[in-house]
Amino acid sequence: MNKRTKKRIFESFRYSTLTIWLLIVAFPLFWIVSTSFKPDAEWFAWPPVYWSETPTLANYANVWTGKEEYADTQYIQSMQKPWVALGNSTLIAFISTTLAVFFGSLIAYGVSRYQMLSEARMFQLLMLRMVPPIVIVAPLSLHYSTLKLLDTHLGLILVYFLTTLPYAVWMTKSFIDEVPVEVEQAAEILGASKLRTIWEVVLPLVRSGLVATFLFILILTWSEYLLALILSKTEVVTLPIELSKYEGSTEGRVYGRQAALAVGITIPLIIIGLFISKHLARGFSFGMVRK
Amino acid sequence: MSRIELKSLRKEFGSTVAVKSLDLQIEDGEFLVLVGPSGCGKTTTLRMLAGFEDPSDGEITMNGSIVNDLEPRDRDIGMVFQSHALFPHKYIYDNIEFGLRMKNVPEAERRKAVEDVAEMVHITPLLNKRPAQCSGGESQRVALARTLVTHPSTFLLDEPLSSLDAKLRRELRAEVDRLHTELKKTFIYVTHDQEEAMTLADRIVVMNEGEIEQEGSPMEIYSNPKSYFVADFFGSPSMNLLDGEVISKEGKAVFQHGQMEISVPDTYANLGSGKVTLGIRPEHVVVSTADGQIPETIDLVEPMGKDTLLYFEAEGERPFVVIVEGLILDDYKSGQQVQLTFPDDKVYFFDEAGQRIR
Repeated sequence: MNKRTKKRIFESFRYSTLTIWLLIVAFPLFWIVSTSFKPDAEWFAWPPVYWSETPTLANYANVWTGKEEYADTQYIQSMQKPWVALGNSTLIAFISTTLAVFFGSLIAYGVSRYQMLSEARMFQLLMLRMVPPIVIVAPLSLHYSTLKLLDTHLGLILVYFLTTLPYAVWMTKSFIDEVPVEVEQAAEILGASKLRTIWEVVLPLVRSGLVATFLFILILTWSEYLLALILSKTEVVTLPIELSKYEGSTEGRVYGRQAALAVGITIPLIIIGLFISKHLARGFSFGMVRK
Repeated sequence: MSRIELKSLRKEFGSTVAVKSLDLQIEDGEFLVLVGPSGCGKTTTLRMLAGFEDPSDGEITMNGSIVNDLEPRDRDIGMVFQSHALFPHKYIYDNIEFGLRMKNVPEAERRKAVEDVAEMVHITPLLNKRPAQCSGGESQRVALARTLVTHPSTFLLDEPLSSLDAKLRRELRAEVDRLHTELKKTFIYVTHDQEEAMTLADRIVVMNEGEIEQEGSPMEIYSNPKSYFVADFFGSPSMNLLDGEVISKEGKAVFQHGQMEISVPDTYANLGSGKVTLGIRPEHVVVSTADGQIPETIDLVEPMGKDTLLYFEAEGERPFVVIVEGLILDDYKSGQQVQLTFPDDKVYFFDEAGQRIR
């Protein structure tokens, strides 16, 4: 077998594996989109309806406008407030992400330039993030109850800020590490103050990295479910929680409506993901790839 | 005016001592080269001068005042880095302009200064490019221009040419030399390349293991090395160093290295007996097909164009090298027996500690 044939076999194996993997990953997405266009009767149909022959926008209209005129049946979900949830999610996700990236990059700069944390400490920081949220959420809810943080915007912002901080530190550090220290020193010796150096030299060089980090953490926070479920529920509802509310005591889950809502909150994330996929790959190498 | 003085300067990184105790005076307008192998403390010394490293002990004074606690930007120095350290996101023009902008020079003046300096180092066509579009040599010219434009009284150059190829290095070396002559500013230049040191320096400071091994003019360092280390470091090809022993033979002192025996010149009457190293530069050995002190067989002939290198087998790691002038392939061939003579006044002896015996 010559080298070229070998390479071809390897390539075809590679692409067929990737194709199968893509199908597995993409199927649930397809199913959600397809369900969102199905009339009520087809949600549970057997054999399953892959693509409705009578697609309808009723689910979208019902979820996002509250209008029932397109729907055949009225469900209790009309009481839900997806727009309020969208507002809450946006507010909480943006504030906590901003905080995480801001403080994360400050810590990262200190670690990268002044060895503020040892390598062991940095890994401990990452380990912190590996603890399953379920482990911390119960004790946290007790503290939150004493601190009167349960079911408040501030409570969720705090917990999201703290749990995503390790990611922020690690990712921004990998970008800061890529800026040679000599470049900063050159600026300093040419008369720039430390702040000016960071503003004029470091920041422009890590900007795309910061954006990637920001969007990555935004996605994490945006789609977080468990912490939001325990630490808030009635007053401050975020989108993932809102999603789970589309069920009735008699009707069970209202899949079409859920799917319509899910599509609405996933599309922005997919668009963001496409934009930053290149940066994400770079950020996730955690600076272990040397130039 | 810029007179720089280092007084018992010391730098430790944890338990390693990078610079032991350095005393050095640098005169105004001098071209001083700090040279030595990697890890000898030369770059650390330069970085302390720049203000990027704080000395563990000792003082740095510039024009009589201590600058230990001054920020790099307040020391009136310019620095050129080995890695160029250009700002990758800025155009070449903005790179050069940066220092002037930090010093709040008016816009019109800045433009003129940038254009003048670009002219001076021949990079005018590059002004609208980005650093990524420049070659290594061009980048280093830009780095020079960026430093020149701010008119510092002292230039620190940290191996500025070592990332370039040989031809470019020679070209830029001449450029640096020209700039020093034109500007009459103090240049402190760090390199591990002895040839750069020899060609550029007014004064060379040879460093080894955090200490000054020897300082002096290039000729002094070359022709009068204080130690084995300096003798070995300078010269290309480097000095032939033969480990051997001085023995007494028929009442005369004789240096013995393997089969080779050389009578010790009378000037070294106090050499005594014992282990020593004999040194002789490749260009000082006299080769003859007729007569001489030492019969040897040529191992390899290497024509270099202007000169020819003759290699002889010697006991030790390195071959014994002789340079003869001209392209003489017809006169010498490998395997041929020749006679070598070591002129008395060209021979050096070093003791076991590596110190020169005079």
